[in-house]
Amino acid sequence: MNDPVIIEIQNLTKTFKGATEPAVDGISFSINRNEIFGLLGPNGAGKTTTISILCGLFPPTSGRVLIDGKDLHTELSSIKNMIGIVPQDIALYPTLSARENLAFYGSMYGLHGKDLKDKIENWLQKLGLIDAAKRQVSTYSGGMKRRVNLIAGVLHDPKILFLDEPTVGVDVQSRNVIIDHLKEINALGTTIIYTSHHMEEAEHFCTRVSIIDHGKILIQGTPSELISNNAGSINLENVFLNLTNRKLRD
Amino acid sequence: MIKLLATVKKEILLLIRDKVGLSILFLMPMVLIFVMTLIQDSAFKTMNEKGIPIVFVNNDNDSLGILIEAGLRNNDLCTFHDSIDGKPATVELALKAVGEGKFLVGIIIPKGATEAIRKNVAELVSETMNGEDSAVQKLNQLQDSVEITIMIDPVAKKSFLISVTSSLREFISEVKTRIMFQTFSDQIAEVIPDKQNAPKNSYKKSQIIKYKEIYASKSEDKIVPNAVQHNVPAWTIFAMFFIAIPLSGSILKEKNEGSVFRLLTMPTPYLLLVNGKIIVYVMVCLIQFALMLSVGQIFLPMFGLPALVLGNSLAGIFILALATSFAATGYGVMVGTLAATEHQAAIMGSLSILLLSALGGIWVPSYVMPEVMRNISAWSPLNWSLEGFYKLFLRGGHVTDILLDAFKLMAFFFATMYISYLYNRKKRTV
Repeated sequence: MNDPVIIEIQNLTKTFKGATEPAVDGISFSINRNEIFGLLGPNGAGKTTTISILCGLFPPTSGRVLIDGKDLHTELSSIKNMIGIVPQDIALYPTLSARENLAFYGSMYGLHGKDLKDKIENWLQKLGLIDAAKRQVSTYSGGMKRRVNLIAGVLHDPKILFLDEPTVGVDVQSRNVIIDHLKEINALGTTIIYTSHHMEEAEHFCTRVSIIDHGKILIQGTPSELISNNAGSINLENVFLNLTNRKLRD
Repeated sequence: MIKLLATVKKEILLLIRDKVGLSILFLMPMVLIFVMTLIQDSAFKTMNEKGIPIVFVNNDNDSLGILIEAGLRNNDLCTFHDSIDGKPATVELALKAVGEGKFLVGIIIPKGATEAIRKNVAELVSETMNGEDSAVQKLNQLQDSVEITIMIDPVAKKSFLISVTSSLREFISEVKTRIMFQTFSDQIAEVIPDKQNAPKNSYKKSQIIKYKEIYASKSEDKIVPNAVQHNVPAWTIFAMFFIAIPLSGSILKEKNEGSVFRLLTMPTPYLLLVNGKIIVYVMVCLIQFALMLSVGQIFLPMFGLPALVLGNSLAGIFILALATSFAATGYGVMVGTLAATEHQAAIMGSLSILLLSALGGIWVPSYVMPEVMRNISAWSPLNWSLEGFYKLFLRGGHVTDILLDAFKLMAFFFATMYISYLYNRKKRTV
């Protein structure tokens, strides 16, 4: 039987060159298979640094990460095959059509031929983009771009999906479509690691959340646990503000 | 392989959709070659066909003046004028007109010049006949005794004037000598009893030294150095290196649009993505090169210019064009890696290529540069390529003649790729 833990992080620290404070300061936690894990925190809390390390963009200063039992440091290339990422910025080629973008990104995951074509058409259909699939992405609305951005991260059926603010700046309709399909992906077995500033969305979407600030984990648990354990809090936003205080962050 | 093909396809699509980039890559270089070659060729043609505007002031009105005037009128090198704004040319008017740039050169034959020559020659002959030692000394004095003034427009370039004035001097000197010889002959005839045997106009028939100009080329074909043979390879190389701007722009666009972030998380080495770019841009360079050669061979002759002669070695041309394409592409990758923004890359790329091309002898031939600059020029990849193409197009060289140049260009490509790799590695160890 599979190990229920899919990601294990042990004493992860990252101090950027020239920085006086670590961006990630000795955090340890684990994420179970099929979880929708929310990594929440104000700006500069260390969320993006943690996700970037988990995706293999740069190495940690110290600590260990195991993904599906594989050491991130030594088995990065095989780990890359099982992860998908949906970045906050629209990482698409504006002068290519949705279909051309997806064909390229799918190929980079080793997909090709009929399999790739079928997957692209299926996702375009599901996310309501089939009629616009031939058009250049630069002509799309913000919501349409977000949906293509999402497909590019899930086309290869990743075991683990990293979502960095996947619904930022989109209308309610697009947000609902995206969240519904993310839940569907999760139901099919993909573990989701999600960062957002949208507390209401996180509260309803995540099975477990971790609130992080100044590179340290402040609290961790299911949204309902966190709300009930924090006196006076009626929702996740209250918990978040109580823990990270109301001061403005840069 | 599938990933590489997908990358190549993506690069081609991006390139095709970028209409401005395409025009920079293909149309602008062709226009550049047209304009530069036509300007340079027409400048030479104007001088050769229309001639240099010369104002002639003949105060002599005797043999010397008349012969020089006749010579100048029949000379293709110049257009003859002996009046200025409808008035007969005088020394003062000529000086003013040349100073104002109406004429490039003014020639003044002083009053009594012919008479002075005749008188001097007569004395010389008489002294020679009498066996006086001062005859040689007298001859030297004679050459200085008739002063022909050549006025020059100060705006005219020195190198150009040197060639013009030396041609004029040579011509005037020949006329002077002819008169001297004629006078000399007449004087001798006076003292020779048998006038039938006296030398008459024998100078005209005699040409003691002949000149023959040949180009030291290995080619069996007649490769004539001209504006086309010089300009087409020079501006082709320049345009090929300008690929650095769209290429570096494409690298930076990927960085700024976030594609690189996604690509770096994928199970695809970054080098493969760069290789996709290199393949496409090397192909673009080769297409550029072929188009530029077609301009030289087909389109320039339509405008009355000579057709580009390719020399003896098509294999040599291909090898050198390929090596130049790699060098230009590598340079573009390096600029795109080192620059932080597209704006920075555009400035860094264009200025550095202008600098490298100036050093490389694209604008001014390296052989006219001072020694220090010539030594620096030898380090410009554009110079390696240009020298290689000159060997093929002008000297009739073969593959073996350009192998070193091609090797240096490939070494430059690998050096730029290594610098890009080191810089990327350093950036990722944040």
